[in-house]
Amino acid sequence: MEVGFIGLGLMGRPMALNLLKAGHKVHVWTRRQESMAPLLEAGAQGHASAAEVAAQVEVTISMVADAPDVEQVALGAGGVAEGARPGLVHVDMSTIAPAAAQAVAARMAEKGIAMLDAPVSGGEVGAIAATLTIMVGGEQAAFDKVKPLFEAMGKSVTRIGDSGAGQVAKACNQILTGVGVAAVAEALNFATRSGVDAARVREALLGGFAYSRVLENHGQRMLDRNFKPGFKAWMHQKDMRIVMEEAHRLGLALPAAAATAQMFNAMVGSGLGEDDSIGVLKLLERMSGGAGE
Amino acid sequence: MKLGFVGLGAMGRPMLGHLIAAGHELAVWARRPEAAAEAARAGAAVCATPAELAARSEVVFSIVTTGADVSAVAFGGNGLAEGFRRGGVHVDMSTTSPTVARELAGRYAGLGVDWLDAPVSGGAAGAQAATLAIMAGGEAAVLARVQPLLATLGSRVVHVGPAGAGQVAKACNQMVMVSAIEACAEAMRLAAAHGVDVAAVRQALMGGSAASRMLEVMGGRMVSRDFSAGVEAWLHHKDFGILLGEAYRLGVPLPIAAQVWQQLNALMAQGWGQDDTASLLRVLESASGA
Repeated sequence: MEVGFIGLGLMGRPMALNLLKAGHKVHVWTRRQESMAPLLEAGAQGHASAAEVAAQVEVTISMVADAPDVEQVALGAGGVAEGARPGLVHVDMSTIAPAAAQAVAARMAEKGIAMLDAPVSGGEVGAIAATLTIMVGGEQAAFDKVKPLFEAMGKSVTRIGDSGAGQVAKACNQILTGVGVAAVAEALNFATRSGVDAARVREALLGGFAYSRVLENHGQRMLDRNFKPGFKAWMHQKDMRIVMEEAHRLGLALPAAAATAQMFNAMVGSGLGEDDSIGVLKLLERMSGGAGE
Repeated sequence: MKLGFVGLGAMGRPMLGHLIAAGHELAVWARRPEAAAEAARAGAAVCATPAELAARSEVVFSIVTTGADVSAVAFGGNGLAEGFRRGGVHVDMSTTSPTVARELAGRYAGLGVDWLDAPVSGGAAGAQAATLAIMAGGEAAVLARVQPLLATLGSRVVHVGPAGAGQVAKACNQMVMVSAIEACAEAMRLAAAHGVDVAAVRQALMGGSAASRMLEVMGGRMVSRDFSAGVEAWLHHKDFGILLGEAYRLGVPLPIAAQVWQQLNALMAQGWGQDDTASLLRVLESASGA
């Protein structure tokens, strides 16, 4: 398939490479020209704007930082809508608020362009290994058309519901992983400060009801004190902010998520924002009188 | 002095009255004709647009609901900015975000118009008694010019700092106040769950280190189960949305405020947004099967 990819950062680059690997013809554009180089070397075709990309393809995919960027790529000057051929499906795989995703999709629909929100979970590792979990909101027909592309980038692909539903699922994912990372850090710090070997605690718990992927993967990285991202704390902070704003709008009590969001605020404020979000362990150590290095 | 006033709600109406009583020449602009008519009966002239109001006033006061409302009154079509002469002053007494206050101050500065953010604490009762606490952000010289006017509205005017600083103080005020309401509600709930007389507990506490204005006023409402607004709870909910947004932007952890925010979310969901914030007690009751 002829597919366009816009946004070649930590996540976007390996995702676009996997599309090439699966035999698709990939057209790229990104704001920072130098980011295109690895894709061009791998056989992708570079363009001067998102509109130019859209004019060449059946599906465009964006993977950018936040809602204003998503809107700009889709509807701004030189954006996808300007170049789109009839029948184009535009897919945004960034993480933004469900309401923002619905608003952009509605405006694209007015121009006859179907849009899917398809945020991912699995981090850079999952993007490279093409094992991402992809949560999709939008019309079934558009989903069916894009599904082969999703399958080239991820392992678990689910259409959750209508427009915005993918972002709702992603918000749920961020509640679970955010609160989960904080819980694992608290448990391991608790073990250590009680004079018990945290590695053995983790090992034991992996066999029981407290098993989770977060305990397995993130827990191991905490024990290794490997705080290299991965998924940066400031990005998780941003995602938790989306969750809390939705909770405010809907009148939902999310006390555990709220507490976790404040811990991410503290990380960013105290200079841990560029660490992986497992750096929340350092914050807890510092709060409890430890060095937290 | 020729003064303008925008925002004739529960707070604005008595404030307008005090300024008229102090001998100033007042004019108003109001979205609702009924509000304008009432102000006219109180002795104020009525203008057709904010721009017209600003053109005839040395100082314009506003006290409206949201930052978007203030921005619209100031810089929307026929806004105050179109009417102000150089040296005019906009004193905004609404509760908005520091960001909105700084932005409006900056835009006015380009026009040679002065700005103060001067949010208040004390509620409708404080507005009626002219005992409001006023927290001002802006230039000291501007505050000095309007100080006598503010003195007719409140009993305490503090210059907190430059533009936006008044709103920072107000955010701190809301955080301390509503967190204290939640603490009162939790104390009342705990006492009730023990089967102990909550009125007696409140009375005992008022004599000791836990005594506070919130325990007195909001604790009193909780004891008498008077949940009719004072200040409608949705306004506090709105304020918490703003202040937790600022905490996010600044990278500041506010663990207690974040929890109170969730209790306010629950309050909204259960349909008590138009009631008093003392309804935080009812949130605890519904979560504990009381």
